[in-house]
Amino acid sequence: MLKRPALLWLLAPYALFLGALPLVDRVHPTVIGLPFLFFWLLLATLLTPAAVFLAWRGDRKRGRV
Amino acid sequence: MNATVATSVFGVFMVLTVALGLFAVRGRGSGGGLTEWSVGGRSMGTVFIWVLMAGEGYTSFSYLGAAGWGYNHGAPVLYVIAYMSCGYAIGYVVGPMLWSYAREHGLVSITDMVAHRYGRPWLGTAVAILATVCLLPYIQLQITGMGVVVSTISYGAISLNWAYFIAFAVTTGFVVVSGLRGSAWVSVLKDVLVIGTLGFLAIYVPLHYFDGYGPFLDRLVAEKPDWLTFTGHGGSGLGGSWFVTTSFLNSLTVVIFPTTVAGYLGARSADGLRRNAMLLPFYNVLLFVPMLLGMAAIFVVPGLAGPGSNLALFKLVVDSLPAWAVGVIGVAAALSSIVPMAVFMLVIGTMWGKSVLGVMPGLAGRPDRQKTGAQVVVVAAGGLALLLTYTEPNTLVRLSLISYEGMAQLVPMILLGLVWRKLTLWGAVSGLVAGGTLVCALVFTENDPLWGVNAGAVALGLNLVVALAVSWLGPKTADERPDSEVLATDPGPDVPVVSGTV
Repeated sequence: MLKRPALLWLLAPYALFLGALPLVDRVHPTVIGLPFLFFWLLLATLLTPAAVFLAWRGDRKRGRV
Repeated sequence: MNATVATSVFGVFMVLTVALGLFAVRGRGSGGGLTEWSVGGRSMGTVFIWVLMAGEGYTSFSYLGAAGWGYNHGAPVLYVIAYMSCGYAIGYVVGPMLWSYAREHGLVSITDMVAHRYGRPWLGTAVAILATVCLLPYIQLQITGMGVVVSTISYGAISLNWAYFIAFAVTTGFVVVSGLRGSAWVSVLKDVLVIGTLGFLAIYVPLHYFDGYGPFLDRLVAEKPDWLTFTGHGGSGLGGSWFVTTSFLNSLTVVIFPTTVAGYLGARSADGLRRNAMLLPFYNVLLFVPMLLGMAAIFVVPGLAGPGSNLALFKLVVDSLPAWAVGVIGVAAALSSIVPMAVFMLVIGTMWGKSVLGVMPGLAGRPDRQKTGAQVVVVAAGGLALLLTYTEPNTLVRLSLISYEGMAQLVPMILLGLVWRKLTLWGAVSGLVAGGTLVCALVFTENDPLWGVNAGAVALGLNLVVALAVSWLGPKTADERPDSEVLATDPGPDVPVVSGTV
């Protein structure tokens, strides 16, 4: 893990979906009409591929993959 | 009239499905043995792996259960999206690792990975039997799921019993011959239809019933707020701590789930799997659609109860669309049963062919005979699930309660064992036995969730403690092989294959 620090990005989905849950388990404020919990989880779903991309880019830079 | 149109559309697509599945192996002859059939000869590129794994992940649950949970409870169903996203992300590391381990040592499933890691063929056999017990209920869930869909979209023209049989016949019809490659080809048809029909429904249903998303969501927020946060509506008892522990446990389980691993092993290169880990989570956006439509159905068709709530989405479809469109959406849902069912049957066949029958004297070291054995097991497993669906439906329903949480107990033996040599054979086995026993005890005494925590996660904790304690204090078995032979490592950058040298 120390040789591939970029892999820490793979923990981002865990932080967004699970770690943040106590803060986002609410209906208001609604964002573009969506109840806040659903908005947040939709955002997390869209950010997950970005997190994996950052892990991949970090690995690439160090020539690990 | 409606019944004729919808049933015809359905029938045409089912024939097309079998044809496509069989077409996948044209010109490949019967060579290649078990590796060609079970993991597509390890030759599939990024796009095919994406299509296949998306196809496996999106089962009949997505159409029925997700909408039904959305209708009954609301928020708790979001755990599906959470665990699949987290699991796909860590697949970035786990996928290439398992892939290179299997490739290097000529392995085709988790059971022979276990047999190789611990140097005990009987352990592979034991895990294969255990995994089969956990997977059979899933085959039945696909059969019954497809049954209710087909009988609904045919406006009752096809009876439930016939629909169950069609599910079994269509799936067996191609997977026995064409294996993982055929499943991937059928997945192409499935993904196109699923993306198309769900994309359409996501726009059409709110417009048709509520004049658009704004009014629909406003009404949901104003009238049904208890559906929109944990623990959801109706005293489900599924709170935030249940969501977090279940999502965490399932995200670890999904990366070693035999069907996921079949997808990993089918890949041509490690980098294809890494790219797949980036692209696959996008598919999860589609899972929001049946959940939202399930909640839309609360307003349109109130009062569905029990198993009827699983049809929340299809009630809207049949109520608002012409017969041909109902048929097409039914086909998409039916294929969402067929593809996962094909891969479930395939991995059961593979595990038995290699790790149960394959250790018998006549079949050891004979991939051609192992493949034949595996094909026989595919038909037997599917036939058994079908038979139990007709005669003892409750047996498998009860078993399905422990399926995922039971499979989760393999995580230390496989994931930890493959990277950490100090985990001993007896440590891994003791942990599995302890965790498995606790899962059964908690689930069958109806203590799941236990104090708001997923019972499988509690059992995994015990599993891990026992595995570490026994590894540390218990007997050490002699294994002379070097670490490089026993452990899995990241394959690193793809090495271009240069022919003609050496």
